[in-house]
Amino acid sequence: MRVILAEDSTLLREGLVRLLLEEGHEVPAAVGDAAALLDAVAAHEPDIVVVDVRMPPTHTDEGLRAALEIRRRRPAIRVLVLSQYVERRYATELMSGDVEGVGYLLKDRVAQVADFLDALERVGAGGAAFDPEVVRQLLARTSHADPLARLTPREREVLERMAQGLTNASIAQALHVSQSAVEKHVNALFDKLELSHTAGYSRRVLAVLRYLES
Amino acid sequence: MRHVADGARVGAAVTLGTVTALLEAAYLLLALPFLGNPNVAAGAVRLAALEARRLHLDPALLRLAPDLEEGDGPDGGRALRYLAARVPVGVLGGLVLTLLVYGVGMAALLGRAWLTGGAFDGMTPTVPLVSYFVLAGVVALFLVLSGVAGVYALERRLARRLLAPDPTEALHRRIAELAESRAGIVTAVDAERRRIERDLHDGLQQRLVALSMLIGRSRRGRPELLEAAHEEAQHALAELREVAWRVYPSGLDSLGLGEALAGVAERSGVPVQVTCELPERPPMAVETAAYFVVCEAVTNAAKHSGAGLITVDVRRCGTMVVVRVRDDGAGGANASGGGLSGLARRVAALDGGFEVDSPVGGPTTIVAELPCG
Repeated sequence: MRVILAEDSTLLREGLVRLLLEEGHEVPAAVGDAAALLDAVAAHEPDIVVVDVRMPPTHTDEGLRAALEIRRRRPAIRVLVLSQYVERRYATELMSGDVEGVGYLLKDRVAQVADFLDALERVGAGGAAFDPEVVRQLLARTSHADPLARLTPREREVLERMAQGLTNASIAQALHVSQSAVEKHVNALFDKLELSHTAGYSRRVLAVLRYLES
Repeated sequence: MRHVADGARVGAAVTLGTVTALLEAAYLLLALPFLGNPNVAAGAVRLAALEARRLHLDPALLRLAPDLEEGDGPDGGRALRYLAARVPVGVLGGLVLTLLVYGVGMAALLGRAWLTGGAFDGMTPTVPLVSYFVLAGVVALFLVLSGVAGVYALERRLARRLLAPDPTEALHRRIAELAESRAGIVTAVDAERRRIERDLHDGLQQRLVALSMLIGRSRRGRPELLEAAHEEAQHALAELREVAWRVYPSGLDSLGLGEALAGVAERSGVPVQVTCELPERPPMAVETAAYFVVCEAVTNAAKHSGAGLITVDVRRCGTMVVVRVRDDGAGGANASGGGLSGLARRVAALDGGFEVDSPVGGPTTIVAELPCG
């Protein structure tokens, strides 16, 4: 894939560029602030951008603003956002709008190279990738009155992985069960959560996460 | 002898007071229609200050000296009330003095008549008469002199009572001051914490992520990267040390302020000249505040002023530790900016004084005065 990186820490930027090149991706540009990112996107038309949330000048959420801008202007470009810590508002903002190919990872996840590359592939393919930690925090907020409280532990496990953007096949692998068993769980929990189960696999992530947000 | 001089001074003060009472009565009568006018109030303040000097009271203590601080300036209404109250006392002083002059005059006439062998008012100096007049004269003189002293004392009391700040009001002001500095310290602490969070996330976390990435890449078939990873781990450790030192300079406890400041000078990108002359170690809170003042000032100067030399001077002046940081940079430092206002709050919390003098074009001088004990 053609990846553009926006990350203000030179050290991390260089590391990421090397990693992506080693994995066979192309990196036409790697920049250090949001304005340069928008220019680079216009110039290179990448498949995917990887954006750090906090960038100069104010080190608050410039990266996220730029990511949303890119999604608005060029829905075809996938966006993977890296954040220092779980910020529910950012996740929600990214998920607003019915578009696919979006990811929200904790920056530390980059350190787990395989997970990071996996998430990058998923988002690049038009799927979704949400950091397990983000999902865990969103799920942790549910109260007993919540329909989530009615899920069996197994269904919860399936939901968590589903929310991270995994396919049924990957969930089956992760939980060491058959794919048909996973499908059964998915249907059961969709019924409990009153969600339509006709949606595609990344749509279901957004649906689940939005449901958790409500 | 001293008593005579004191007595003369009191007498002069009361005499002058009579004159000024008449003048003030005229002033008040003329000013009556214009009481709201600030000039009338200012005139009253000036008159009250003159009275304070006549009564040997410090105008500054009575808050009559023009003061720059907000709400600390002289109060015209107060001065007018005082003048109105003291006019009768001044007149009373005048009456007592009139009695004194009359008595002394009478005694002189009587003495002269009797000494020249004449009669006074048909009376000739017989022993009982002389004794009677001497006794009556001494008693009358005593009463009149007491009256003069009494008027003087009364004047002083009146001035203190009507002009000096009310102790309750002083307490209120102090409480407001403390509340403000307490709120300031909370703000300063929050700002420090934000800075620490930034230091950790934007520095150390990036290094650790980069380090893990190196290790991850080396595990994915690039074993030669381990070398680089090891080096990166060293960098991360150095970064951690620096962040921790910025959070709290642990060396300050063991080494003392002078050594810690020498450390600041070593780490600074701009040459720093440190003079630290303290006869004994100041209290911990003062040392820490002084350290952070120097640290922040040096960082600011290095970052914004383009200075070629920064001089740091820490010395003891009486009960104060005075920290002075001067740089030869471009000046124009903003005292209300984040770093400097944080310092001002830190110093205010110790009841110290903090001044930034930074004209455009430089030089910038930052002075913090920290009370010790």
